[in-house]
Amino acid sequence: MMSLLSMTSPAAPMSVLQNALIVGAILFTLGIVGILARRNLIVMFLSAELMLQGISVSLVAWSRYHGDYGGHVLVIFILAVAACEAAVALVFVLQAFGRTGRLDASAWQSLRESNLSWVVDRELPESDTVPPLWPTLAPAGVLPKADEDEPLQRKHV
Amino acid sequence: MQQLSPSVLLVLVPALPLVGALLTMLLGRSLRSRAHLPAVVGIAAAAGVSLVLLAATAAQVGNSSDAHPEPVRPVEMITTLWQWATVEDAYAPPSGSEALVPGVVLPRDTSGVRAFSIPVALRLDPLTAIMLSIITCVGLLVAIYSIGYMHGDPGYARFFALFALFVFSMSMLVAASNFLIVYVFWEAVGACSYLLIGFWFRRPEAARAAKKAFLVNRVGDFGLAIAVFLLWMTYGTLDFHDTLSLDGTILPGILGQTRLADAGGIVGGAVGAAICLLLLLAACGKSAQLPLHVWLPDAMEGPTPASALIHAATMVTAGIYLITRSAPLFMACPGALAMVSIVGATTALVAALIAVVQNDLKRVLAYSTISQLGYMFASLGTGTMLGFTAAIFHLVTHAFFKALLFLGAGSVMHSMGGVIDMRRFGGLWRVMPMTAATFLAGACALAGVAPFAGFFSKDEILTSLHSKAFPSVHGNHGPESPAAETAHLHLTSWMHDGRLALDSSSTYGLDAIDRPEIWQILFWMSLVTAGLTAFYTFRAVFMTFTGPTRVPEEAGHHAHESPAVMTLPLVILAVLSAVAGWWLFSTHWLSHFLSATPSLTAPSVTRTVVPHLFHIDLAIQGTLAAAIGIAVAAIGHLGRRSDSPQMERFLGPLGSLFANKFFFDQIYTGLIVRPLEALALLAAIIDRSVIDRLVDWIATIPLGVGAIVRQLQSGLMQRYALAGVMGVLMIVLALAWQLRG
Repeated sequence: MMSLLSMTSPAAPMSVLQNALIVGAILFTLGIVGILARRNLIVMFLSAELMLQGISVSLVAWSRYHGDYGGHVLVIFILAVAACEAAVALVFVLQAFGRTGRLDASAWQSLRESNLSWVVDRELPESDTVPPLWPTLAPAGVLPKADEDEPLQRKHV
Repeated sequence: MQQLSPSVLLVLVPALPLVGALLTMLLGRSLRSRAHLPAVVGIAAAAGVSLVLLAATAAQVGNSSDAHPEPVRPVEMITTLWQWATVEDAYAPPSGSEALVPGVVLPRDTSGVRAFSIPVALRLDPLTAIMLSIITCVGLLVAIYSIGYMHGDPGYARFFALFALFVFSMSMLVAASNFLIVYVFWEAVGACSYLLIGFWFRRPEAARAAKKAFLVNRVGDFGLAIAVFLLWMTYGTLDFHDTLSLDGTILPGILGQTRLADAGGIVGGAVGAAICLLLLLAACGKSAQLPLHVWLPDAMEGPTPASALIHAATMVTAGIYLITRSAPLFMACPGALAMVSIVGATTALVAALIAVVQNDLKRVLAYSTISQLGYMFASLGTGTMLGFTAAIFHLVTHAFFKALLFLGAGSVMHSMGGVIDMRRFGGLWRVMPMTAATFLAGACALAGVAPFAGFFSKDEILTSLHSKAFPSVHGNHGPESPAAETAHLHLTSWMHDGRLALDSSSTYGLDAIDRPEIWQILFWMSLVTAGLTAFYTFRAVFMTFTGPTRVPEEAGHHAHESPAVMTLPLVILAVLSAVAGWWLFSTHWLSHFLSATPSLTAPSVTRTVVPHLFHIDLAIQGTLAAAIGIAVAAIGHLGRRSDSPQMERFLGPLGSLFANKFFFDQIYTGLIVRPLEALALLAAIIDRSVIDRLVDWIATIPLGVGAIVRQLQSGLMQRYALAGVMGVLMIVLALAWQLRG
């Protein structure tokens, strides 16, 4: 890689380029990892945007290195496209939520081979077995019951 | 007709039945009860044309009186229709002294490289003219008979189409002038025979008989094929006739006039004997001689007119024709000739013995056909001009009287409602006098009663056998010993390069058969067969037509004389059986006419010509044998005794040997059919359990691979994204590796 870069005369020093590229790579990788590892649809989309931003950083770094404004221009394009894409993607997420009531990517498994089973989490998150205690108003003139075992109940409103 | 040249007429003879067959195939369904018209008209026209050709050829041969027998010039006319196959530079003669086949000195005419050329050429010479006339005229009579016999059969049109197709194939077989074309039509007549024997294919016996006929014929065809290969290798050509090559040189055909005039032209020795024995095998298959005779009796499952034409008059004579046509080849190998006679005489005797105990009228006639064909082979094998012409003479008369007998049997079968077992009916001369009279005429001809046709032809055969058995009696006609024959040849053959180009007096063991003692045995066998022939023929006549009139119940109201369309051919054939023999014999026309056939003008054949003498002692011996046979038949079966089981009582255990056809069928079944069936069963088992299982196992491999790959299709989008990312990673790594290295 060093031999390739030394062929042209740079407008910015190499160290700037390398650092910026590293940042861009980190952003891109985090974006990929986010898509692969997260199940929340909105977070997955967030990670996709992160990938785009990583690429933008790399583009800016390259165009600064070459002294060419082409990369900057492309980044502006990318920003505009990312915005439109966000609109479209969030519509999809809303539709997906409307059908299943969940923002979980693993809710959509129907398009699979018939002999494979539904992939479910090994342990379901513990459901709240304790019913929520809603605050109640005491009837007028009656003192409310005070329970010492419930530290959550506040003594005053 | 004068405007039509003989070559056009020669092409018309097979072409007209072919057109008739095609028209019948196309229009048969719409013509319905008139479906016989195209075929019968075609055959009738062909019959007329072939008679014209016969007259034209006879005019060319000219007449000669017995007093001044001048040497007959060969008469032939070749018509080439088109060139079927040409392979350039296919034959290269051996350079120098090494031969193509070791030990064989090739004829001198192998000059230069030659192409493999098969022209579809037809040839008109006396032998062909006679055969064509017999085929078409007897075919016409049988076709007219079939109009009445096959009336009402659902396959009416199919029968006539096959009939005309057969006449076409047989005409082409005898007219072809190239061994490969002969082979093609040899197979074609076999196929037509199969189709006609299995005409009522829904009967399992008929289907089985047709299969048997075809398979046994196939063995003979194998012999013919190998013979054709050997002929090609030895002679470099397969044509009968001489052809002109492009640069003007003559390429001698195998049986062409150039080669026959050259004393060293025909190859003898081991290769020649091999060719001749293979041709004999082919003839045995087609003409139902031992050991390939087993198909003919079973072929009686077919319609009677088919049996009359094919298995009496026409197809079975193809073997006789082949050997006569190849006479010069056989003359170079005396051992092969003796083999022909031995096969013929043995077959004649064995078939006659089997016929003695048959109770089925058609079977009697079938075995009689085999026996008479054996006579013709015995006569051919004598290797004399008299032998060849006697065989053809007997072929002609046999065609007449055997067709007559078969048609008469068909007439009987027709009125008896399909019953043909002689023990179930009797005294039919009162019921069908015309059939009885014509059948009697045919029987007299078959038994050799003078002056019917069979007497003269059988007498000539016996004469030719006698001349080989007792040479001294016949003067200078007898065959010299092999040494003397070689000396003769030394004087007359051409010496080329100091080498004698004819190798006939070789020390091969086969030629040692050609000894007078063997011929004497054959002569006595033939005489005994003549007596047996008369016996079984008249036994059949007496059992069927004499005695108290009995009609089986299947006959119903059928038991009357056949209609005119069936009796007219019978009458014509009866007249021919009666007079043809006398006429042909007394004028010596046939032998003179045949001697102009190019094959029979070879010096080796013409050397054996003897002035024709009527040997009265042989005629008396023959007639005595016939008379004894008829007398014994009369004692056993005439009149009131017509249905008594005389033969079974008289012969005892021998009778069961004859009735089982000498166990040929059982031997073949045990030796050939069962092993083949076992082999087929083994092959079927291997095919099912080994090969099919292998294929099925290979088919499970994609299933297994698919079952593994299927796990990837989980429906989870993130897993798919992961797969994509892994792919990109691999590409990046590969690029990095490339760049590094």
